Amino acid sequence: MKPARFAYERPADLSALLDRLASAEGSVKLMAGGQSLGPMLNLRLVEPDLVLDITGIPELRRAAIEGDTLVLGACVTHADIEDGRVPDLTGGALARVAAAIAYRPVRNRGTLGGSLVHADPAADWVTSLIALGAEVELAARTGRRRLPVDAFVTGALDVALAPGEMLVSVRIPALPPGTAWGYVKHCAKIGEFAHAIGAVRIEPATGRARVVIGAIERAPLVVAEAARLFGGRIGPDFAERFDRAAADGVLREAGMTDAVDRHVHVTILARAVAQAARPAPSTRPVSEAA
Amino acid sequence: MSTNAAPRDDRMPLALTVNGRAVTLRAEPRMHLADVLREELDLTGTHLGCEHGICGACTVLLDGEPARACLTVSGACAGADVTTIEGLDDDPIAGELRAAFNREHALQCGYCTPGMLVAARDLVLRLPDADERRIRAGLSGNLCRCTGYVGIVRAVRGVIADRRARGIAPTTGAQRGLGPVGARLGTPAEAARTPLRPVTATGTNPAPEAAAAPETAAPALEIADDFVPAHRFDQAFTVAHPPDAVFALFGDVEAVATCLPGAVLTGRPSPEMVEGALQVRIGPIAARFRGRARIFRDAPARSGRILGAGSDAGGRSATQGEIRYRVGPGEAPGTAKVDLAVGYTLKGPLAQFGRPGLVRDLAGRLGAEFAANLEARLSGAPAPPAAGLNPLRWLLAALVAPLRRRLAARGARRP
Amino acid sequence: MSDAIPLTEGVGARLPRKEDDRLMRGRGQYVGDLRLPGLQDVAFVRSPLAHARIRAIHVPDAYRDRVFTAADLTDVQPIRAVSGLPGFKVSEQPVLARDKVRQVGELLAICLAPTRAQAEDIAAAIVLDLEELPAVHCMLAAREPGSALVHEHWGDNVFLETLVDVNFSAALDAPIKVSRTISTGRQCMAPIEGRGTVVHLDHRMDQLVVHTASQMPHIVRNGLSECLGIEQGRLRIVSPDVGGGFGYKAILLPEDVCLAWLALRVGHPVRWLEDRREHLTANANCREHHYRITAYAERDGTLRGIDCEATVDSGAYSAYPFSACLEAAQVASILPGPYDFPAYRCRTWSVATNKCPILPYRGVARTGVCFAMELILDAVAAEAGLEPWTVRERNLVRPDQMPFDNITAKHFDSGDYPQALARVLKAIDVDAVRKRQQAGEADGRRIGLGLSIYCEQAAHGTSVYSGWGIPMVPGHEQAGARLTPDGGLELRIGAHSHGQGLETTLAQVAHEILGVPVARTRLVHGDTAMTPYSTGSWGSRVMVMAGGAVAAACRELADRALRIGAHLLQADPAACRFEAGRVVGPSGDVTLAQIAHTWYRRPQDLALDVNPGGLEVTAGYKPQRDSGTFSYAAHAAVVAVDPDLGAVEILDYCIVEDGGTLVNPLVVDGQIYGGLAQGIGTALYEEVRFDARGQPLASTFADYLLPGPAEVPEPRIDHMATPSPYTQFGVKGIGEGGAIAPPAALANAINDALRPLGVALLHSPVSQHRIVAAVLAARDAATAREAA
Repeated sequence: MKPARFAYERPADLSALLDRLASAEGSVKLMAGGQSLGPMLNLRLVEPDLVLDITGIPELRRAAIEGDTLVLGACVTHADIEDGRVPDLTGGALARVAAAIAYRPVRNRGTLGGSLVHADPAADWVTSLIALGAEVELAARTGRRRLPVDAFVTGALDVALAPGEMLVSVRIPALPPGTAWGYVKHCAKIGEFAHAIGAVRIEPATGRARVVIGAIERAPLVVAEAARLFGGRIGPDFAERFDRAAADGVLREAGMTDAVDRHVHVTILARAVAQAARPAPSTRPVSEAA
Repeated sequence: MSTNAAPRDDRMPLALTVNGRAVTLRAEPRMHLADVLREELDLTGTHLGCEHGICGACTVLLDGEPARACLTVSGACAGADVTTIEGLDDDPIAGELRAAFNREHALQCGYCTPGMLVAARDLVLRLPDADERRIRAGLSGNLCRCTGYVGIVRAVRGVIADRRARGIAPTTGAQRGLGPVGARLGTPAEAARTPLRPVTATGTNPAPEAAAAPETAAPALEIADDFVPAHRFDQAFTVAHPPDAVFALFGDVEAVATCLPGAVLTGRPSPEMVEGALQVRIGPIAARFRGRARIFRDAPARSGRILGAGSDAGGRSATQGEIRYRVGPGEAPGTAKVDLAVGYTLKGPLAQFGRPGLVRDLAGRLGAEFAANLEARLSGAPAPPAAGLNPLRWLLAALVAPLRRRLAARGARRP
Repeated sequence: MSDAIPLTEGVGARLPRKEDDRLMRGRGQYVGDLRLPGLQDVAFVRSPLAHARIRAIHVPDAYRDRVFTAADLTDVQPIRAVSGLPGFKVSEQPVLARDKVRQVGELLAICLAPTRAQAEDIAAAIVLDLEELPAVHCMLAAREPGSALVHEHWGDNVFLETLVDVNFSAALDAPIKVSRTISTGRQCMAPIEGRGTVVHLDHRMDQLVVHTASQMPHIVRNGLSECLGIEQGRLRIVSPDVGGGFGYKAILLPEDVCLAWLALRVGHPVRWLEDRREHLTANANCREHHYRITAYAERDGTLRGIDCEATVDSGAYSAYPFSACLEAAQVASILPGPYDFPAYRCRTWSVATNKCPILPYRGVARTGVCFAMELILDAVAAEAGLEPWTVRERNLVRPDQMPFDNITAKHFDSGDYPQALARVLKAIDVDAVRKRQQAGEADGRRIGLGLSIYCEQAAHGTSVYSGWGIPMVPGHEQAGARLTPDGGLELRIGAHSHGQGLETTLAQVAHEILGVPVARTRLVHGDTAMTPYSTGSWGSRVMVMAGGAVAAACRELADRALRIGAHLLQADPAACRFEAGRVVGPSGDVTLAQIAHTWYRRPQDLALDVNPGGLEVTAGYKPQRDSGTFSYAAHAAVVAVDPDLGAVEILDYCIVEDGGTLVNPLVVDGQIYGGLAQGIGTALYEEVRFDARGQPLASTFADYLLPGPAEVPEPRIDHMATPSPYTQFGVKGIGEGGAIAPPAALANAINDALRPLGVALLHSPVSQHRIVAAVLAARDAATAREAA
C-alpha cells in the first residue's frame, strides 16, 4: 500500500505557490497536514503528478482577530485550536469541536484548511463552520475572494475551488454572549467517521438560528427557515419547542429515504438543540472528549 | 533485469534529526516517514499496521509531538526533529511507562507497543488529571488486538498518579508554533523540489519505468441485458422544450455524451452502440472508465435505455450502469418532463469502501449537471463548463498524461 | 550469575514477562524487520472480481522479467487441504490462479522490484482480461439447486454435509418449543501485524530459508514441501516475533509458496509484507455462521432437546491445514456446550462461496455455537417466563457428573459449571441490576443483563484429529531442554508464541522442576532447524502440550543431574533428592551450575557409568487422555442501550473462569482481557459485508471497526481452579476462551434491555444501525397493531 510516484515541492511563500499551482502540468494536489490525503495516496486512490506542500508558508500558519472575526490560516491544526494556541471568539466551541476530531496524533498535523478543502461530509469542520457562519478566503494568482463555507462545500468531497485557486484562511465570526451553540456528532466509536452531526447556532433574543445537519454523505444540509423546527418561532424556550417531526420532514424533503438514518439524524439534532439550551461548559474542553 | 526497467531515481535529498542525530539521506517523495525510518535508517521499531492513519502502530514524535509516520510524506518532515521508540531508551517518562507496562502486562505480541508508548507518553505529559475515561479516549488512536487495553490503561493511570504525587507539572504546548508538527516554515523550495514526470521522450529522466502506463488497454466488458444494478436513484427534471424535441436529442448520442460530464466518445457511435470513456472524480479520487454502451430506444413511448460497462486502465475497478429515460409532456405547454432512472454497480478497489453514499452523491450531481447541460443544449447554448465537478484543465491533463507517459516509455526503450 | 532462587517464579507465579523489554524498546524482530542484502519486494496482482474466467493477463514488455504468472509456476502443486470425513469435496487452491478466480484478492501475478512501491507500480501496469461469472455470495442461496458453482465439477457448492442425531425424536412432545434463526457476521482476525514472508537461499546449508509470520512453522514446512516438491531437509522455516495471530497465521499461504518459488527462481532474497487492504479484502476470513435452531423444553426450563441446521460460509477454498469443514462439522459436536440434555439433532453444511477462505479464529466454532445456544436459551427463558439463569441452572452439567461424556461423546474432564454461574450472578449482583432496570434511566437508555456460559475443549490431540483426517494430526508434543555449561537452561519447542508470553511461562514450568531462574532460561522456538516437530500454536494447546513436554524434559534432566550430583557428593542417588536447583545429599549439596560445569568442563570428575546423554534431553508428552481439557467460564454483562442511536455502553462485565491450574495468572488474565476485547468486536463492531457480486465492502479500518480502548471495559475476573485430572500440573488450555462468550453475553444483555420494546437481535455484530432498525421496526409493528 504505497503511493504512486509523485513529484513533491514545498514553496516557501504564497506567491511562489500560486504561480506553481497555476503553471504546473499534470494533476496537482495541494497538501497541508496530509491526514486525509495521506491515506488516499497510500491506497492509490489519488495519484497526483505533483504534490504541493503548503505548510512552509508563514501566512498560512497565522491566527488573528479582525474586529469580530477570528481569522485562521489554512494550516492551523486541530490541535492548535484544541490547545488554545489560537484566540477564541466562540466561548470554547471551536476547541470542543477540535478536541473530538479523530485522534491526537492526527490532530497534531491535520489542518482546518485541509479538512475544509477535502470536504468529507463526515468531517467536523464542514458542518460546524457552516453553522457558525464562517467564510473561507480563497486566493489565486489573479486575486482573492471570499465565500461562505456553505457555498464553498458543494458536495461530498467537492468544493468550489477554481483552477489555480486555493484556500488560504478561514474567517469565523464571534459567537456573541447570549447565542446558544450546540454541536453533537454520532460515531460508532471514538475517532471514527461521524454517522450523524447536528450543529445549531441559535439567537433566542432575535429569533434567528442556523441549523445544520451533517454527515449525510453530501454537502451539509442547512435548514432553510429554521423556525419551522421550533413550531414557527424561536425564543428562549427553543429546546422545548423542537419538533422532531418537522426535522424528519426536512430530511425527507432532502431525499433521505432510509428511516433509520433519518431517525438517527433527528435524534442527534435534537441533542444538539438540547445541548445549546444548557449553559456552555465553563472549564476548558476535555481533550479527546468524544 | 533489463536495463530499461531499472527504476528512475527521483529521490530527493532530505535532512532531518532522528533520535538526536542529524541525518541526511535521499528518499523518493512518495515515501512516507515510517518507510524512511524503517527502510533507509533501519529503525524498525516504528511499525506499520494499517498505513491509513487509524491503528497508530507507526506513531512517532515529530518535534516532540505524536504524529502518524505513515501519513507524513518524507519531504514534509524536512528539517524536523523525529523521535522513534529507539530514541526513547533513556527517556525518563518512557522508562516509567515501560516499568508500568511490564508490571501490568500491557503488551502481548508487542507490535502496537512502540506506537502505544509514544501516545501514552504524550498523554502522561499533557493530561496530568486524566481519569480512566479520558485515558481511554486519549489512547483511542492506538489499536491493540491482544491485551484488551486493561494493562495499558492501568499502566498509564499508574504513571499519571505517580507523577501527580510527585508534583510534576504538565507540559502546556503553549510555546509551539501554529501548523502541523514537523513542518518547518519556509523550508527552501529547491531542497524539496523533485522533478515531475518527464514530459518528453528526450527529457532528462530516461527510464520512467514506474510511470509506465499499461500498454494494453483493458478489454471492453460485456454488457449483460439482464443487468441488475446494486445502486439506483431516480431523477426528474423539466425542460422548456417540447417532448419530441427532447426525445430527439436523446437519440443524438454525441449530443448526449457532450451533456454528460466527463464523458468522451472514442469512436463513431452507431445508433445502437457507442464506445467511449467516462471520467469521474470524487474529490481527489479520479477514475476513468473506458468501455461501451448499448442504446435502446422506444420511439412510440418516447423512452429508452442506455446500458454501459467500463473499466479502468488495468481492469481493476469496473462499473456497469444503465440510464432509463422517459420523456413526457411537462405541466406547462411546450415543456417536457424527463424521468431518469439511474442504476449502477461498481467493482474492484473503488467498490471496496464502506461509504457508497459518496458515490451516490457524485452520481446525483452528475445527473443534475446532465439535466442542466441538456437544457442548455436544447436552448442552443454551448454546454456550460461543469462548475466544481470537472475542471476542464484537469480533465485534459488526465487524458493527456497517460499518453505522454506512454510516449515517454516508448522513447526510452530506443537504443 | 547468582543461583539464588526466588521461589516465586514457578507454576502459579504472577510473573511479569521477560520478553517485554525488547518489545518495548522497538527491538522486537518481526518478519518485516529482517534486513538481507539484495532483498527485493513483491507486490501481487490480485483479482478485483469474486468469480471470473481468466482470459488473459497482459504484462508490459518492460516488466517481463519482473512479473510471474501461473504460466511460470509449472512445477508447483496447488494447495490441497483434504479432510478424510466421508463426502468431503476437494478444492485445489492454485498458488497463482490459472483459469479461473474464485474470490476477490486471489493471486494472479507476482511483481518483483527493489521496493514495494515500485512493485506496486508494476502491478498497476498489468492489464487483466477477466470474464466475470455470477458470484456465489450467500451461503444459503449457494445450497439451492441452480446456484452458480464455485467449483463446477462438484455439481453443488457443499464441501461437506454432516448429520448427528441422538435420540432426537424423543424431544418432540416437549411443551415448549422455540425456534430462532441466528447468525454471525463474517470477520477478519486483524492482528495489528499482517502476514509477511521473506525468503532467502542459504547456500552453505543448501536450504531455502523461509521467514514467515506463522503460528506453525513445521506445518508450513510440510505444506511447502508438498507444493514445491522439495525435500523437507532443504527447507527451513523461521517464524520470528509474531505480531498477533489468533488463527490468522495458522495457515500455509499461497504467498509463502510464491515467495519460496521466486527466491529459487531469482536467487536473491525476496519479501512480501501483507498490507491492511490485502488483509481485509483478499486473505482469510472467519466466523460467518447461520443457524436455524429449535429448543425443546419443559415448562421449568429443563431442556428436552436441541435441533439445529447450521451452515458455515467456508469461502472459496479449503485452507491448509485446517480444511474447509473443520468449523461446520465442529458445530455439530460442540453445540450442546456445557449443557446436559437427552435428545439432539444437528445437520451442518460447509458451503463454498466466492469469498476468502475461512480459518479458525480464536474460539473457532465455539463463538458461533455459544451465540446460538445462549440466545436460544434466553428465548426459552422468555417463553417459560423464567429468568435466564434459571434455565441455565436447570441444564448445566453438574460437578457430581464429572468427568462427563456428553451427548456428542465429548469428555468433560472436570469442573463445577453451576458454581461458575452462581459466582458470576453474585458478582454482577443480579438483584441490583433488575432494580435499576425497573427504576429506569434518566437519560432514556435501557439497562440489560446478559449471560453466557461455555466450555472449551482445548489441546485436543490424536484421537480427535485423526478423525478429521486433515493434513495435520497432533501426536506427542516434544520439547528439548539443555543445561548450558554455566548452569543456564535452554528450552526448545516446535510451537510458537504470537504474543502469549511462552518465553516466560515455559521458563516458569522449567523453574518449577529444575529451579533455574526464569531470567537464566531461554526459549528457542519458531525455527524448524532448531526445534522439535510440532503442529504449532492453535487450539489453546501450547501450555498443556509444550508445557507438559518441557516438564517431562526437565524431569529427565533433573534425574540425570541427580545422578551426577550424587556422584559428586559421593552419595547413593537414592539417598539424594533434587530440590530447588540443587542436589541435596545426606551430607551436603551441589548446585545445578556445578553439575553442569562438571559434565561439560570437567568430565574427568564424572562416574564411569554416567548417562552418556548428558544434560541435554528431548522428551515427548501427551496428556493421559488426549480428548482435550475443558476449561469453562460464565460471563455476565450489564449494558445500557440507547434505543434511538443504538449505542451500547458496557457498564459492567464479570467473568468467572476455570482454567485449571494457572501457570501465570498475570498472563492468563491478559488472555482473557484480550479475548474479551475481540469478543466485543465480534458482538458489536466487526463485519466484512459483501455485495451481491462478492465484493468485500470493508477495505480499511475506517470500514472494519476494531474496538479501541474506549469501547472495551475492564472486566472483573474470578478464577476457579479445578485441575484437569489428565495433564501436567492440571493445566487447561485457556487462550481462546475470552473470545467465546462475549458476543452471546452482550447480545443477550441488549435483548434484555430492549425486550419491553419487542426487540430481539439475533445477528452479530449487533451494530448500532441494526439496533435502531429493530427498534423502529418494533415501534412500527406496535403502531400497526394498535391501529388494527
